[in-house]
Amino acid sequence: MIELKHLKKQYENALPLKDVSVTINDGDVISVIGPSGTGKSTLIRCINLLERPTDGQIFLDGEEITAYGYDVRRARRKMGMVFQSFNLFGHLTVIENVMLAPMDLLEKSRQEAYDRGMELLRRVGVADKALNYPDELSGGQKQRVAIARTLAMDPEIILLDEPTSALDPTMVAEVQAVIRDLARSGKTMMIVTHEMNFARAISNRVFYMDQGGIYEDGTPEQIFDHPQKELTRRFIKKLKILELSIDSRDYDFIGAGAEIDRYCLQNDMSPKDKYRVRLVIEELVQQILLPRMEHPQIRVIVEYSTQEKTTAVTAAYGGERFDPRDTDNHLSLVTLKGASGEINYQYDAESDQANRIEIRVKAS
Amino acid sequence: MKGNNFLKKTFALGIALLLVLPVCLSFKASAGSSEKSDGVYENVDELAGKRIGVMTGTIHDRLVEKRLPTAQIVYFNTIADMLDALKAGKIDAMIRPQSGALFISYEEKSITWLDEHLTDADVSFAFPKTEDGAALCQSFSAYIRTLRESGELETLRGKWFGEDESVKTMIDISALPATNGTLRLAATGTQMPFNYVRDNAIVGFEIELAAHFCEMNGYALQIDQMNFDGVLASVQAEKCDFACACLAITEERKESVDFSESHFAESVVFVVLKNTAGQKDSFLDNVRASFEKTFIRENRWKLFLEGIGTTMLITVLSILFGTLLGFAVYMLCRNGNPVANALTRFFVWFVQGMPVVVLLMILYYIIFAKSSIDGTAVAVIGFTLVFGAAMFAMLRAGVGAVDKGQTEAAYALGYGNTRTFFRVILPQAIPHFLPSYKGQITSLIKATAVVGYIAVQDLTKMGDIVRGRTYEAFFPLIAVAVIYFLLAAILNFLVGRIELNVDPKRRKKENILKGVELHD
Repeated sequence: MIELKHLKKQYENALPLKDVSVTINDGDVISVIGPSGTGKSTLIRCINLLERPTDGQIFLDGEEITAYGYDVRRARRKMGMVFQSFNLFGHLTVIENVMLAPMDLLEKSRQEAYDRGMELLRRVGVADKALNYPDELSGGQKQRVAIARTLAMDPEIILLDEPTSALDPTMVAEVQAVIRDLARSGKTMMIVTHEMNFARAISNRVFYMDQGGIYEDGTPEQIFDHPQKELTRRFIKKLKILELSIDSRDYDFIGAGAEIDRYCLQNDMSPKDKYRVRLVIEELVQQILLPRMEHPQIRVIVEYSTQEKTTAVTAAYGGERFDPRDTDNHLSLVTLKGASGEINYQYDAESDQANRIEIRVKAS
Repeated sequence: MKGNNFLKKTFALGIALLLVLPVCLSFKASAGSSEKSDGVYENVDELAGKRIGVMTGTIHDRLVEKRLPTAQIVYFNTIADMLDALKAGKIDAMIRPQSGALFISYEEKSITWLDEHLTDADVSFAFPKTEDGAALCQSFSAYIRTLRESGELETLRGKWFGEDESVKTMIDISALPATNGTLRLAATGTQMPFNYVRDNAIVGFEIELAAHFCEMNGYALQIDQMNFDGVLASVQAEKCDFACACLAITEERKESVDFSESHFAESVVFVVLKNTAGQKDSFLDNVRASFEKTFIRENRWKLFLEGIGTTMLITVLSILFGTLLGFAVYMLCRNGNPVANALTRFFVWFVQGMPVVVLLMILYYIIFAKSSIDGTAVAVIGFTLVFGAAMFAMLRAGVGAVDKGQTEAAYALGYGNTRTFFRVILPQAIPHFLPSYKGQITSLIKATAVVGYIAVQDLTKMGDIVRGRTYEAFFPLIAVAVIYFLLAAILNFLVGRIELNVDPKRRKKENILKGVELHD
C-alpha cells in the first residue's frame, strides 16, 4: 500500500504537482491519464523518488520513504519501473540485463538468476534473444525485456511510465499484451498512458490528472462513461473548445468568422460541418440575438469532439428570459433548426448570463 | 576500372616521392652545400644584414648586436641544430667560442671561422650565491690558481684541445670516494672539449678539472646533464653545487651566481662555411657513414637505449598515475561537490593553460627547488598532472555520453550511486573515451621530449647529445622520430589489448554465460 500525503513538486518555472493526497491499495491497477504537462510522469517518478518531492510525504506499507535518512534503495527494490525509452543496459546482453540486479542486489547465484531470467524472458516472449544486445532488438522486444528485467527483482509494485509511447504502432499490441497479462496476475500497478481503450481494459481505477493534481479519481466506468467534472469530460470526449465573446452590436463579425474557420480547419472538420457551425452561429447571434439587445453580452462556446466527430454550440447571454426559439424571425429560426439536432434552453436567474442555449449541430 | 587503377598507382607513387624527397634533399644539402658560392664570407663586415646563429642563454647575441647592428639574430638550443642550420643555408654564420669551432672543424670539414675575434671572455665555473657556495667557490678558485702556477692547467688544456681523442683519458668519476660528501655538478654534455659524452660517459676539460678537485678534497662527484639554458637556472635554484658549461663571466650573470677563478680565456668567432669544392660522396656512403657515427662509434646505441628506457619510464608511470589521478579526481567531482569542482577546475586550468615545458621548469626549479628529488621524478609528477587533467576531461565527456536513462534504470532497480557508476555507467563510458585515451598516450610520449630542460636524459636529449658529438642532423633526428613512432605504436597496441578486455560488447559469446547450466 502506498499513501501520498500533500505531495508537491515544484520546478524552477513549473508546478506540476500542487498538492496530491491519495492511497494506492494492494492489487490496484491504476491508469493515469490526462493532457500532456499535467504531472502524470512526475507523479509516478516521485513515488519511487527518482524525482524528489518538494514537499509532502510518501508512505510505503506504513513506512515513510521520504523521511530524512531513509535508504531510498530499499523502497526502490520493492517498486519496479518501466520507462518510456526502455533504458536497457546497452553494454549487456538481454539475459544479463535481467540477471544483473538480482545477482548484485538480491545476492542470487548466477544459476538462480539465469533460471529465473530465462523463465521471465519466456513469459514475455523474447527468450530466443537472450544472447542479443539491446540494440539488436525491435522497440517492442526491448520494452518486453525491460518488463522482464523489472519483474526479475520481484517488485510489489510496478510503475510504468508511458510504456508504449515510444513504440511503432505495429509494436504497441505486443507490449500491451504483456502488460495486460501482468495486470491479471494481481500485482499492484500504476501506468501512465495515452491509450484510453487500453487503460479502460486493464485497470480497476483511473486517475485523471489536470490542474496540478489528481483531478478526478474513479473506476474506468465512472471516468470514461460518466465523468463528473468538466475538464475530465472534455478530455475523455477529446473536446476541442472555441470561445467567442461578443460585447457590442458592432463586433468584428468577419474576424469572428475567420476564427471559426481556423478552428474548424485545425480540428480537421469536414466542409459540411464547418458550414453548419458557421450557419448556426450566424443565425443565432447575428439574426436572432443581436437585434434584440442594446448592450449585448454573449459568450459563444463551440465544442467539437474529435472522438465522436460531433459539434455543440452553446451561447450564454444576459438580459431577461428569452428562448431564441420564440423569436419572430421565423426565417432564421427555420434555417437554424435545419442545421441542428437537439436544442436545449435553460434559464438561471442567479447567473450573470442567465440565458443558456445549447445547440447540437447536425452531424454529416 | 583501368583509369581508377592508374589513379591509384599515381597516387601511391606521389606519396612515396613525398616520403623520399625530404630525405634526399637533406643529404643534398649536407653533401652539396660546400659548392655554394654564396654563404661564404671572408671578413665580418660582409655579414652585415645577414642571419647569424647564436646559442640561447649566451652573451653572444649582444656581441653580435654591437658588432653588426643590422644582422638578424637566430637563436638555437643546441650546437648541432645551429650547425645544421648553417649547413642547410638557413643562417649565414654562427657564433662559437674558438675552441668550439676548432672541434666542430675536426668532425665537419666544411666549416671554418673568420679571423676577427668578437671578444675575449674568461670562462669559469658557476656557484650558487650561498654561504656554502661561496666557500666552495673560494677553494675551487685556489685550486685553479695552483694548477695555473704549476703549469698543469696548460698541460690539461693542451691535452683536451688536440684532435687525438685517444690521449684524452681521465680518472673514473664514479670511483671517487665520498669522504666529505658528494658534489653535484651541472653540465650540458654537449660542449666539446669542455664537457661532452664519449663512450657513453661524460668527459672533457672542465669535467677533468672538477673530478681532480673532488679527488683532492675527498668528494664524490655526481654530474647532472641538462640543456644549456637550464644550467644557470639550476645553480640559482641550488639544484647543484656548481656548474660548468664553458660559462663566460659577465656582470649580469655575476648578479645571480658566483664565478670561480677563470680556467680558460675564450675568444668568440664567426663560424662560416668553407669555400672549397666538397668531395661528393654517394647517397649510400653518406647513410652508412652517418649510421656508423650515430650508432656504432663509441657504442652510442647504448645512449639511445638508455634514452628509450627513461622516456618509457616517464611515459608509462605518468599514464598509470595520471589515469589514477584523473579517475580519483573525477570520483570526487562526480556528484557535484562544489569545493572539489572549483579546485579541479582551477588545477585543470592551471595545468592545461601553460606549455608543458614551463610547467616542468616551474616544478623543478621553483616548487621542488630545495628538495633533492631528481628530474625524472619531477617529470613523472609533471606529466602525471598533465595526463590526469586529460583523463579527467575524457572521463567527464565519456560519462556524459552515456544516456541519463541508464542511471535512472539502475536507480529504479535499487542500485546506489556508486554501484550504478561502476556496474552500469563506467562500462559504457569506457568505449566512448578509449579512442581519445589512445590519442592522449601518443601525445604524452611525444610531449616527454622536453624533459631535457630539467636534467633528464630521455630519448630526445640522448639524440641531442649524440648530435653534439657528430654534428649530424639527419640520422639522429630520424632515428629518434622512428623510435617515437615505435614506442607510441607499442603503447597503443597494449591499450588496444585492454580495450578488448574492457569493452563488454567485444566479449566472446561463449564467455557471457560462463558457469551457468543452460538446460536447453
